[in-house]
Amino acid sequence: MKRFRRHGQETHRDRLKQELYQFAKTVEHGFPHQPSALGYSPNLQLLAIGTRSGAIKLYGAPGVEFMGLHDENAAVTQIHFLPHQGELITLLDDNSLHMWTLRAHQGLSELLEVGRFTLTGPPGAPPSVTRVTAVLAHSSGELLFLGTEGGHVFVVEVPGFRELEERNISVEAVQQRVPEDYMGRRNLECVEALQENPLNPHQILIGYSRGLMLTWDLDTNCSRHHFLGTQQLESVWWTPDGQQILSSHSDGSYCQWTLNDEDRQAEPDKHEMPYGTFPCKAISKIMQLSTKQGPPFLIFSGGMPRASYGDRHCISVIHSKTHVALDFTSRIIDYFATTSGAQGKGEPSALVVLVEEELVVVDLETEGWPVIQTPYLAPLHCSAITCSHHVSNIPLKLWERIRAAGQHQSAHYSRKPWPVKGGQNLAPDAPQRDLLLTGHEDGTVRFWDASGVCLYPLYKLSTAGVFHADADTTDNMNHGAEGEWPPFRKVGCFDPYSDDPRLGIQKIHLCKYSGYLAVAGTAGQIVVLELNDEPAEQLVEGTLADLLQGQEGFRWKGHTRLEVREEAVAFPAGFQPFALVQCQPPAVVTSLALHSEWKLVAFGTSHGFGLYDYQQKNTVLVRCTLNPSDQLALEGPLSRVKSIKKSLRQSFRRIRRSRVSVRKHHVGNAAKLQEINARLEAEALQEMELAPVQRKIEARSSDDSFTGLVRTLYFADSFLSDGSHNSPSLWAGTNGGSVFAYTLRLPPSDRRMEDPITAYPAKEIQLMHRAPVVGIVVLDGRGAPLPEPLEVAHDLARSPDMHNAHHLLVISEEQFKMFTLPKVSSKLKLKLTALDGSRVRKVGVASFGSSRVEDYSESGLVVLTNQGDLHVISLPSLKMQVRYPCVRREDVSGIASCVFTKYGQGFYLISPSEFERFSLSARWLVEPRCLVELPPTPSSSASKPLPRAQPDGAAVQHRNFRRDRENCEENVSPRVMEHALLNDEKVLQEIQRSLEGDQTSYLEHHSKSKPGGGKLITNGGESSRE
Amino acid sequence: MNRSFNKSQSLRYLDCTAVEVKSKYGAEFRRFSVDRFKPGKFEEFYKLILHIHRITNMEVMLGYADVHGDLLPINNDDNFCKAVSTANPLLRVFIQRQEEVDYSSFGTNTLTRKKKAVVTLRNDVNRKRPHIRIGMPQDFRPVSSIIDVDILPESHRRVRLYRHGSDKPLGFYIRDGTSVRVTPHGLEKVPGIFISRMVPGGLAESTGLLAVNDEVLEVNGIEVTGKTLDQVTDMMIANSHNLIITVKPVNQRNNIVRSSRISGSSGQSTDSGSSAGFAGMPPPIAGHSFPPDDLESDEESDIVIESNLKRPSRRSTSSTASRAQPQAMPPAPPPPPPPSPPRPPSVISTASFHSQPSLNGAGNHNLSYKLHRDLNLQHHHSSTPIIRESNGSLHKILNTLRTDPRHSLALPRGGVEEDGTVITL
Repeated sequence: MKRFRRHGQETHRDRLKQELYQFAKTVEHGFPHQPSALGYSPNLQLLAIGTRSGAIKLYGAPGVEFMGLHDENAAVTQIHFLPHQGELITLLDDNSLHMWTLRAHQGLSELLEVGRFTLTGPPGAPPSVTRVTAVLAHSSGELLFLGTEGGHVFVVEVPGFRELEERNISVEAVQQRVPEDYMGRRNLECVEALQENPLNPHQILIGYSRGLMLTWDLDTNCSRHHFLGTQQLESVWWTPDGQQILSSHSDGSYCQWTLNDEDRQAEPDKHEMPYGTFPCKAISKIMQLSTKQGPPFLIFSGGMPRASYGDRHCISVIHSKTHVALDFTSRIIDYFATTSGAQGKGEPSALVVLVEEELVVVDLETEGWPVIQTPYLAPLHCSAITCSHHVSNIPLKLWERIRAAGQHQSAHYSRKPWPVKGGQNLAPDAPQRDLLLTGHEDGTVRFWDASGVCLYPLYKLSTAGVFHADADTTDNMNHGAEGEWPPFRKVGCFDPYSDDPRLGIQKIHLCKYSGYLAVAGTAGQIVVLELNDEPAEQLVEGTLADLLQGQEGFRWKGHTRLEVREEAVAFPAGFQPFALVQCQPPAVVTSLALHSEWKLVAFGTSHGFGLYDYQQKNTVLVRCTLNPSDQLALEGPLSRVKSIKKSLRQSFRRIRRSRVSVRKHHVGNAAKLQEINARLEAEALQEMELAPVQRKIEARSSDDSFTGLVRTLYFADSFLSDGSHNSPSLWAGTNGGSVFAYTLRLPPSDRRMEDPITAYPAKEIQLMHRAPVVGIVVLDGRGAPLPEPLEVAHDLARSPDMHNAHHLLVISEEQFKMFTLPKVSSKLKLKLTALDGSRVRKVGVASFGSSRVEDYSESGLVVLTNQGDLHVISLPSLKMQVRYPCVRREDVSGIASCVFTKYGQGFYLISPSEFERFSLSARWLVEPRCLVELPPTPSSSASKPLPRAQPDGAAVQHRNFRRDRENCEENVSPRVMEHALLNDEKVLQEIQRSLEGDQTSYLEHHSKSKPGGGKLITNGGESSRE
Repeated sequence: MNRSFNKSQSLRYLDCTAVEVKSKYGAEFRRFSVDRFKPGKFEEFYKLILHIHRITNMEVMLGYADVHGDLLPINNDDNFCKAVSTANPLLRVFIQRQEEVDYSSFGTNTLTRKKKAVVTLRNDVNRKRPHIRIGMPQDFRPVSSIIDVDILPESHRRVRLYRHGSDKPLGFYIRDGTSVRVTPHGLEKVPGIFISRMVPGGLAESTGLLAVNDEVLEVNGIEVTGKTLDQVTDMMIANSHNLIITVKPVNQRNNIVRSSRISGSSGQSTDSGSSAGFAGMPPPIAGHSFPPDDLESDEESDIVIESNLKRPSRRSTSSTASRAQPQAMPPAPPPPPPPSPPRPPSVISTASFHSQPSLNGAGNHNLSYKLHRDLNLQHHHSSTPIIRESNGSLHKILNTLRTDPRHSLALPRGGVEEDGTVITL
């Protein structure tokens, strides 16, 4: 009955919802997980990275990004751009070849897969005959040469992938012209390398694994020069002048051959083993770049002495007298060099190296070959990410100060511009400055510019300096000892090993108005820092907070407290610590809140919570929340694991110098208590496979572990004691469903330094359903969440309504519950778990702006559940607004890593090194919009001109070829649907008509049948990305 | 409250709609009338009785003499309604103090028998005829019931488990499985959720209404199809205070066969009609979904401790709740309605909490009511029956409770004992 009565209202509400909320995953920040191939087009100035999961990503100038995903879940092994075109060929692990194209559409480019091909050999041939090992995209742009494991070279015409059988170069034809005594009884093995003569496109070089190389004349279809190498071939390089050929070999040597009139050469001109005498590892790739004046650059990877440095990942660069072995911290995937001129001509300018965990670019033009900072592909995981914190809308002043501090740190980087600069970034400037802060296992906090498509590193803060850590002080960047051979130089910043896991950052809180920062770590340490533009010496005194409060009979078996340095420590410009609290027992800090106006920090662990006055540097309040039966929390949850870890740490440290590429799959260290539930669930998932699947139905009892764990802390200026006087208050919520409220008495500002701050217990609420309290919010008289501290003082928020009654919103994992204040009585509730069985994992308050009306906005709760769904829940009415599947429910670390912004966007980790950015807001959207101008070629005109729909369209994207790990089911049908619709002229005309006419009626009509109807209009293509 | 009770009306207008009531407490009589067709709620009647007898602080038991002369209890809307409608012409109401209730006096022929034996000593009567003492329904609490028999298919069963306090675990396990459904395309195998195990001695087992391999169809009105085992688990746990599961019993032989109209007369097994005895029990709802708020019963309300800020101690950093100053008792609530299910006797409450009413206003005074009631139950032997006047000594009482060896509850030295029903300050 209710529904009928309010029918009219609800349709209005539905329309409003469409204007407020829209879900899209917009861009992936960070470094692709498990890269497996690298490609570069000197023509387009784009680099392409393929991954083991079958994704390819193209990058050009900052902001120019494309992404595609192969339907096959196979690793990309090779990427080749077709010369002078916007097309590229990928070779997958399953021996399939795929053609992708960059197509301009509505002024934006998009990456599309346009063809696929698998080589079929003669009937009955073994699979090795057609197993592709080498690919050459011929400069004509029409031919592909495919060398195979069987030694054949197949010729395929592109586009269209037509096999030209008559032009194939069979291994038999080659063998005929090779001297009998060289051949012996062995075959030539697989085709290792295919190269085109840089000057004569009718001549190609074929290198066989056994060591034979020959040039093949495409016009006459016969071989011309034979180079009878005797060592196992790894790679070949044809120098740009076309006169010389370099070959690298598995014994760590390389050879130089000259093209002359001799038909057969048995001996190379030059045979060298750079790291000689003792056995060496293979040189996997070699290149030589000539310079106008002076000697060329010789660049090769590998070749290290097997016994002493066989486990290093090195690229050696030799130029004149300079010889450097760039020592990377993870396995080298591939590398290329850029040149100063167009089309791959001119002086070599930079060396771009893709290693397994990062992209490193070395400036070859500047003395000392410094590294150029990458504007994208940032290795977020150089130390494992343990937490993240997002701050929206940073004031310009703070932004500039952080940037300035960061610039001091990046002094060792090259000043040269980023060498890969293809495409144009057409995205509008970011509407505001956003910071993403990531906490890492090694005690660092990294500040990222998250305003736009590129996640750009701004500043790095290390908290380790406060403590006596047994960290080795060797700087990654320093050069090897004088005269060391090989002349190693460490490059790259990926270093997953933390010397002391206690330093790990667990919680971060930054006040963007005052520049105060609080970070809390694994060993119960809370550091308060202040932004200082000058380097300074600080003496940081630790304050001990005994959270057990005399509870007896408990013994902490976990790690010990960190030792504080007692002397003044010099800190560089930037955030400098000035206060420190250490919890006793030193359990991981599970919640943190900073109030910069009151100059208070609240912190909580599994034992209790405390309040610290960082102005007077004393503890105001300590409260133990332990349940006496909760033994586990008291002993330290992972004490046994820890001890093993400790004993193994030394041996790991020894190993790590050699095997850095051993991957750390899991984000965060094991002591991440706030994720304990999620983890237990994951363990249960694993157990499911062993034991019969069975779940116990039992109400939560007080015996559950970690009921005392403090999950959330909140400061509010509200009506706690009576309805007429508001006062500062501190709220704490625990894992056992308890809420504690304290009234704070602050002295007047002129007595702030002298008079003590006092806290009185005011209220305790025990939720009867006992689910963990994950969030506490106080709503003002208008039903809006209270503003952040200092927000009103800086004129950036409306001051809260203090005339009408405030409300307390307690968010547990199961329910949203609104209480009246000051007398706490239940007013409203939304029982999420009782309704659909999902539980709240992450919650945030966000403001949603309407995409239609400029000045209309609503606040809402953004919720991520354990099912991986995103919900928006209205405030203060607590009504579910929208729900979108976002993360796979099995992706526990993805769900645990999610952070929300204040404007309806969010980030979560899709791999240890990548953040996925999503948007729930119809107004705010950050996504790549870019265009790559293609050289005019007739083949690219295949795309049908489409009517231009909604020119001022809200930037809406739908990336179909995205990682299928998320909601692949959901994606399939819309893709097909869109494709079908957009290839239908009639539908397109109808769309246009409806856009010119009544826009909303169309929206209403179509959005019912298909989620994301709006996307269809603005996107207009089954693009992967524009 | 005055809607249907009008004291003076009965004598002046003796028309057919009024029923004359004569209530007796001890040696005192009161006379008034109620409307025969609109007798109102039992609660209101109870309050009226207490009011006109001026015994507002007392726990009493009401009984009436029916047409056969039997003394029958009045303790819910239904039997109150029955009592009024069958009164011919006078409704005789007997009031007994709760702690003096003589249960043997209820039942068939009790009143007539008692009349005969009125000259003899009651003890003698008892000695001669030793009774098996059967308590009043209200002295038990329901642990489970089958509900909505009239709207469900006979092959399904909707079971409600009441979990008061935490004395007994719910005690069952669920698993994934496949069930066979009849569809337009014939029989189809579909995934389903089944009960996989019962914990011996658990609530689920003790009811006898659930069995291993019963298929779970709904949890509190929400279908479980399409939900994962973990989701269903979470739903059940979230609803564990008032769990209603609809199952398809694996044993279809014990199904309730719906004959004609089953009314409240067999309320023992089909709880659908006569649910008024249990506070917060909603009337059966047609259809499949329960609005969750209606299901909310008072046992779900959270406990709030509000400290008095008038006398703050300077060192307020400790958790020992005894330091928190108990607030003064809230203004005296009107006499509480009796017919809420009694708490298990382990409930101890203090003066300084308020119940948080759930959305149905009925829960408003339940907790504070229980406070009195429970203290009464505990202490009726210790001669402090009127609690409201002993506000100041509440702490003393609590202290005596604390040391009372009969209480198995070990109270922690500090902090809030987080055992569902117990809150100490």
